Amino acid sequence: MSEDFSDIPEELYLATEAHVKYIQSLDTRKDEYDYWLTEHLRLNGLYWGLTALHLLGHPDALPRADAIDFVLSCQHENGGFGAAPGHDAHMLSTVSAVQILAMLDAFDELEKRGKGKEQVGKYIASLQNRQTGTFAGDEWGEEDTRFLYGAFNALSLLGLLHLVDVDKAVEHIAACANFDGGYGVSPGAESHAGQIFTCVAALTIAGRQDLIDKERLGRWLSERQIAGGGLNGRPEKKEDVCYSWWVLSSLEMIGKTHWINKSQLAAFILRCQDMEKGGISDRPGNMVDVWHTVFGIAGLSLLKYPGLQPVNEVYCMPKSTISRIFGR
Amino acid sequence: MANQGGSQHGIARTSRVRTEAQRQRDLERIASYRVLEDDLRARVKNPRTAYADRASAQHVFDLTTRLLRLNPEYYTVWNIRRRALLVLLPAGPKARRGDCCDRSSCSCLGETQPSHGCPKAGRSGTTADDAGDHTSEENDEEKKQDDEETEKQTRTMLQTELEFTIPLLIESPKCYWIWSYRLWILRQSISRLPVPVARGIWQAELALASKMLTKDRRNFHAWGYRRHVVAQLESDALGGGSMVEAEFQYTEDKIRADLSNFSAWHSRSKLIPRLLEERGADEKARREFFEAELDKIHNALNVGPEDQSLWYYHQYLMLNLTTLPPNNEHTITPTLPIEDRIAFLRNELAEIRDLLEDYDNVKLIYEALIDLTLDLCRLEGKRKPDEEEKENLREWLGKMKELDPMRMGRWRDFEEGLRREWGVEA
Ligand SMILES: [Zn+2]
Repeated sequence: MSEDFSDIPEELYLATEAHVKYIQSLDTRKDEYDYWLTEHLRLNGLYWGLTALHLLGHPDALPRADAIDFVLSCQHENGGFGAAPGHDAHMLSTVSAVQILAMLDAFDELEKRGKGKEQVGKYIASLQNRQTGTFAGDEWGEEDTRFLYGAFNALSLLGLLHLVDVDKAVEHIAACANFDGGYGVSPGAESHAGQIFTCVAALTIAGRQDLIDKERLGRWLSERQIAGGGLNGRPEKKEDVCYSWWVLSSLEMIGKTHWINKSQLAAFILRCQDMEKGGISDRPGNMVDVWHTVFGIAGLSLLKYPGLQPVNEVYCMPKSTISRIFGR
Repeated sequence: MANQGGSQHGIARTSRVRTEAQRQRDLERIASYRVLEDDLRARVKNPRTAYADRASAQHVFDLTTRLLRLNPEYYTVWNIRRRALLVLLPAGPKARRGDCCDRSSCSCLGETQPSHGCPKAGRSGTTADDAGDHTSEENDEEKKQDDEETEKQTRTMLQTELEFTIPLLIESPKCYWIWSYRLWILRQSISRLPVPVARGIWQAELALASKMLTKDRRNFHAWGYRRHVVAQLESDALGGGSMVEAEFQYTEDKIRADLSNFSAWHSRSKLIPRLLEERGADEKARREFFEAELDKIHNALNVGPEDQSLWYYHQYLMLNLTTLPPNNEHTITPTLPIEDRIAFLRNELAEIRDLLEDYDNVKLIYEALIDLTLDLCRLEGKRKPDEEEKENLREWLGKMKELDPMRMGRWRDFEEGLRREWGVEA
């Protein structure tokens, strides 16, 4: 069924060229103080930017060889990746590194010039708490279902999920479930769209969607759409482009995106664009950033808005990458 | 990945063109930031020398202070600060006994990382345990004084660390790394200080969490943080006991101040099973408790029937009726006879229907009425709705479609389910 976006006003369209230019400009802002303050997100930023470019149909707008070199320059002896050279290894940047290499079809470079897939898998596996099944972000940090999802995401892309105790991790997710069908950051915590995405996606990767109360969860998720078309992350909160992605992708995973109004959501995301200079913000009229840019574009792609490559809802990567890796 | 650091939330879009003066100012700030960063990086490049002695560690530590004030999101710098602090902290009596990594008193991730937080296994390989090299000739009195001195020093240092993060937290209340560092410091207090002292530090932390929740009543981090702090205060490691009554009262106060605080309602729902268990509530007490909760939510719904938070809690209470043995030991009234469950549901239907008299255009009321009707059919042996109920269901569904066309796909699926499962033709 093709989507009907005919009620979206004509002046709202996808500013593809502007977005490509915006993403290309991100690494040329070395004379801006913020560029230096955000170095701890460099590898994540590359993943966000590259994913957006792939979905926009401009996968080569950032030079492939440079991207691979940069990723490999962030790797530590233990296999983990830091956010940039000189930054400590962390789950979040390691997952981004794997996702980037997957998108660029460059796992062979990791074998040849990096520490190899197996070592990356070992690093991630070392962060699992074998008693509870959940994961930490690094050797110092707290445990969080975000890290569990990240581990499943990267390990499955690497074909190394067997390095961790999947059943224990699944048990942990089940313990994070709430009566409203949603999931919290840890057992006892309130349902939250971001955590729901991580838990539902992890269960999907583990092949354990049977544990999800799809009816209740679908109800909770669909109630996130509020007047104006955007989605919020929790009851009585404001709408936001990034939450819109987590809710929408979770709905997709449980087969219920038709429970919200897609055209109104598409219009909301389109209104968050900076039409002139490119980029997408959390809400209309706010400052853009690459984080909301990728989730806005991914959201539009999932809504089948014209002119975009299809996105995979579990990995937030191009469908073509996922089918190349998993052969489906 | 779900990492919100560095993203812009709620900042108005302004012209991205800088004046030349602004650009110059940026360049100056960049220069001084990078000098600091380069200095620190050069020092920690070789971990063997960076933390080799107190003076080197102190220098590294001071650099992290300056850098983190400029950029609290710089997680690597927080890690460096931890490494330096492990050298600077005196090896206390607890640490000297070698139980500084006692798993039972440490909720950290020690299981997977043997070196975690243990000064004797610091990653730098060089640690401050020389303080432990006391000879046996020392008399006990001297040792006691030493211990007191060590304890005082440790306490001061940990407290200084907690204070260091406060202005950073006020500026960036959602910065994950600051919270994570705080928790690490707090854990150090458990492993390095006598229980009553550590307990005092964690108690002050609970006060901080309360303060954060007064400022932002639904701050997700602060609610989770509070749960974590309470769990620690309840643990054996801090000589604690149950705080479930006090925490339940806390949700009561929060709800009284603001009915639509879903975080507080949620917390309440999670505390109730433990509360009743610890009270040793019998069947009668449980039933009375349930009735009181129902009254509370009815009163709230009477003034705010549009409030989703209230309806979620209402759904939670209804689950208590519809979840039957043997899988309901965590409900409020697990042994309630089926007739009573049915009676409660019928009463509930009447109560919620009364709301329609004042509010006939609130979707959530119709949704609840449909849920309750089907719950009733299920409890009564999964019977089909009777003619009157069918008529009601059709009418209420029609109202939902009319009031909430945004979720039309959901209502259509629901309509189909009504036809297929319950024999309700459109
Ligand atoms: Zn956002």
